[in-house]
Amino acid sequence: MSDPIFEPLEFQNLTVKNRIFRSNISGRFDNEDGSLTQTRINWECRFAAGGVGAVISSYVPVRMDGRIIAGYATIHRDDFIPLWQKLGEAVRAHGAKYILQLSHSGRQMDIPGVHNMHRPSPAPTSKMESLHGFLCQAMSTGEVRQMVRDFAQGAWRAREAGLDGVELHAANGYLFTQFLSSAINDRTDCYGGSLRNRARFLLEVIEAIRDKVGRDFHVQVKLSATDHNNVLPWEGKGNTVVDTIQVAQWCEALGADALHVSTGSLFPHPLNPPGDLPLDVLAVTYDAMISSGVSGFRNFLLFRYPMLRPIFRWLWFRMKKGRPVEGVGYEEARLIKDAVRIPVISTGGWQTASSVRDALGHIDGVSMARALVANPDLPQVWAAGYDLPPVPCTHCNKCLVGAPKLPMGCHELARFPSRDAMIDQLMEIYDTRATLQIPEAS
Amino acid sequence: MTAVSAVEAALAQRRRRWRPVLWLILAAVLIALFVGIGLIIRVLQSGTAHYSDDDQHFRHGSIGAEVASGIPYKVWQALPVLFPEEFPAGDYSSFGFLYDGTQDLPIGISKRRVSGVDLVWFNCAVCHAGTYRESEEDTPRIITGMPAHQLDLHGFTKVVLGAASDPRMAPDSLRRAMADAGVGLGLIERILWNLAVFPRLREGMIERASRLQPLLDRQPDWAHGRVDTFNPYKVLEFDWPTASLSEEEVVGASDFPSIFLQGPRAEMQLHWDGNNPSLAERNLSAALGAGVTPDTVDHRSIERVADWLLDLEPPASPHQPDADAVARGFDIYVRDCASCHGWQSPDGYVFEGDLLGEITPLDEVGTDPNRLHSYTQDFRDQQVAELFKGTPYAFRQFQKTDGYANAPLDGLWLRGPYLHNGSVPTLADLLIPPPERPKKFLRGGDVIDPQGGFISPTCTTEAACFDTGVRGNSNAGHMWGTDLEQPDKSDLIAYLLTF
Repeated sequence: MSDPIFEPLEFQNLTVKNRIFRSNISGRFDNEDGSLTQTRINWECRFAAGGVGAVISSYVPVRMDGRIIAGYATIHRDDFIPLWQKLGEAVRAHGAKYILQLSHSGRQMDIPGVHNMHRPSPAPTSKMESLHGFLCQAMSTGEVRQMVRDFAQGAWRAREAGLDGVELHAANGYLFTQFLSSAINDRTDCYGGSLRNRARFLLEVIEAIRDKVGRDFHVQVKLSATDHNNVLPWEGKGNTVVDTIQVAQWCEALGADALHVSTGSLFPHPLNPPGDLPLDVLAVTYDAMISSGVSGFRNFLLFRYPMLRPIFRWLWFRMKKGRPVEGVGYEEARLIKDAVRIPVISTGGWQTASSVRDALGHIDGVSMARALVANPDLPQVWAAGYDLPPVPCTHCNKCLVGAPKLPMGCHELARFPSRDAMIDQLMEIYDTRATLQIPEAS
Repeated sequence: MTAVSAVEAALAQRRRRWRPVLWLILAAVLIALFVGIGLIIRVLQSGTAHYSDDDQHFRHGSIGAEVASGIPYKVWQALPVLFPEEFPAGDYSSFGFLYDGTQDLPIGISKRRVSGVDLVWFNCAVCHAGTYRESEEDTPRIITGMPAHQLDLHGFTKVVLGAASDPRMAPDSLRRAMADAGVGLGLIERILWNLAVFPRLREGMIERASRLQPLLDRQPDWAHGRVDTFNPYKVLEFDWPTASLSEEEVVGASDFPSIFLQGPRAEMQLHWDGNNPSLAERNLSAALGAGVTPDTVDHRSIERVADWLLDLEPPASPHQPDADAVARGFDIYVRDCASCHGWQSPDGYVFEGDLLGEITPLDEVGTDPNRLHSYTQDFRDQQVAELFKGTPYAFRQFQKTDGYANAPLDGLWLRGPYLHNGSVPTLADLLIPPPERPKKFLRGGDVIDPQGGFISPTCTTEAACFDTGVRGNSNAGHMWGTDLEQPDKSDLIAYLLTF
């Protein structure tokens, strides 16, 4: 009997060799102008070489005003198409597919960078983001329609680059979530109010992409099953899984090929990525974000002084009670799967082969980021019959909280024989062997 | 100037928006700080005025009664404004308190600042300073050390106790009355009073009234120049319920005594009933009666008064009796009186006599027994067991006696009405048999009577009329001299007028 993990997954327009997806995760690998680098190619190929069926790219903005951190590659310019093409070829050379995640930060912009520091971010609302105090400005109806076109244009560039598909990042608090969430969207035009109106932006983007790239290009949508927006207790709870099931059905009806199910209306969120939150590490990395939001300094103080940490710890960990780390969003993904006919991928703490096999009886695939950052060869470990790798991911989330300041990779020293060994692994992807050129004289 | 980032611009805008609020908060904090420091400075203030002159110290110096028994100075000043019907003279002279013009407080009322609040209450002079006039037209002359025969302490006490539950003592009306009396509250004081004084003032007064009023209800009017020394002491100091006092002991009012020349009195049986031969213990006991407690007593102040009183001479008698009659009277006095009372020589009073300062049993002296019975063995035992226990001031020499002490008669001309309970207006009246002595007369007059004592008109129905038929007021007893022939009586009186 074949292992369900390694059975191919056939989408409408794409077949992936197994059920393992590298979920979107990135470091500050790329150039300030948004062009990708060899480092990113090395990063993505690490997972493709490890045996995943598909790599879902990092968060890729369709516009420069939608970056979350300067240093992440964008797809806002046609002249970047060859770069993405190169990346796609590199991943496919290892037998994996490459799905580009089309994204826009909306108000959830962690480090604005030189392009965005002088202006509030475009968003469906002018209410600042609650946790960090990121500023935003509600888009006019016309600006929303322009945003729809920009997403379609991003999808066209992905297709032109020969990539295997696109994913709309409509989860985890970014622009699409800000439209979808009843706790965030306070618009009074046709993009606010009822669930249908709040979903209108996402559905128009799907339609526009289909118009632009046709029916035969893979388009999937990542949704947060439940908002759990009340991380700060005075905030509204936001959308429920019932709302999201309805949105998922509308996505399917408009031509989405798959759904990727996460949770939470902000990122990071107590339930995404699940696991610990190392406040002591935040004390030395969050300073990179102090000036990004009007509440940055307050948060930094909460992290910096141990006597204040219980305040944040209470806020953060109260939502985790009674919930598992592995498969934290599985039950909600099942509910959505039961309501649609297209494949559903679940993300959230997956790492154990047996758990994944059990889940695949009800859903179609799993995506992982941290487990693969810790062990890029996890698919091969599973294929060899092991349930867990010898040194599994601890879900400590040090990789997450280091993102604004430290190189992306595993920072859990306990997983390495020495600090040097940890740093050696972190530096592997920077071994670019670049061909350096002398700029032409003017 | 353009902000470096949108967040900085937003923060700057927020700062601008909040700046007025921050200024207000800062101002509020500064005001709170100012008020807080003011309150602390005020609350830390405690102390009392000191007087270089012994007589002024006696009249106005504190003995420590204010802390536990006093009322705020400003309330004291406001009471005549609040209760004009009780203060027809507009001040405390309505009750016979004496003003000497040096202070806005009467003689016998001292002031002490306690935790930032000026409190006032009695000192020794309240009961031991009086006035005399040689005629109706004369200006009253204040004599410190003589009995406060003009003082209506009972009336004053009733008004203060009654005020406790009067609606006019509510903070708002009291505050207005204080302002009307010219002693309004400043900012810091207002806060202090709102926080600490007003909530405790009426409660304290009502609590004291609840203990003392039942006693007053069982007693006749004390009358001008008299006080019940020990029964209020029992209910206030020892917290005895009035109901526990026996019928025999519950009435005990007697005259304020003079306190001249205490030095020669050392070792005599002191107090009317001679219950203690120690000047120091007698002085402390009297101070307790004035309102001090073992915790609040100002020993140095009391000892200064006591030292001053050791040789305080009474003023010379203004009477000018016939010299021959005085000489004849002297012979009679030496024969019949001197062994008990000592005698007056041209050079001063001679404290000599076989029975001087000794106790004459009640059966023999025959005067009103109530004052004697008010001092009981149980009370004496508790005095000795508890008061100033563990200190050098502990009471040791109090004894229950069976009669009244034979007192020296120095300053006799200032000490009418006579006998321990002031039931006989003049010396002449004392030399007639009790049934013939005045039965009703007005006490408190200060015009000297040629017959010794003060002119005390007979009366019938006036409220202030002293009725010797009332319990505790009996004019019986002290039969010595009543059987003399009239010429001898006149001669004896002539001699006694020189005392």
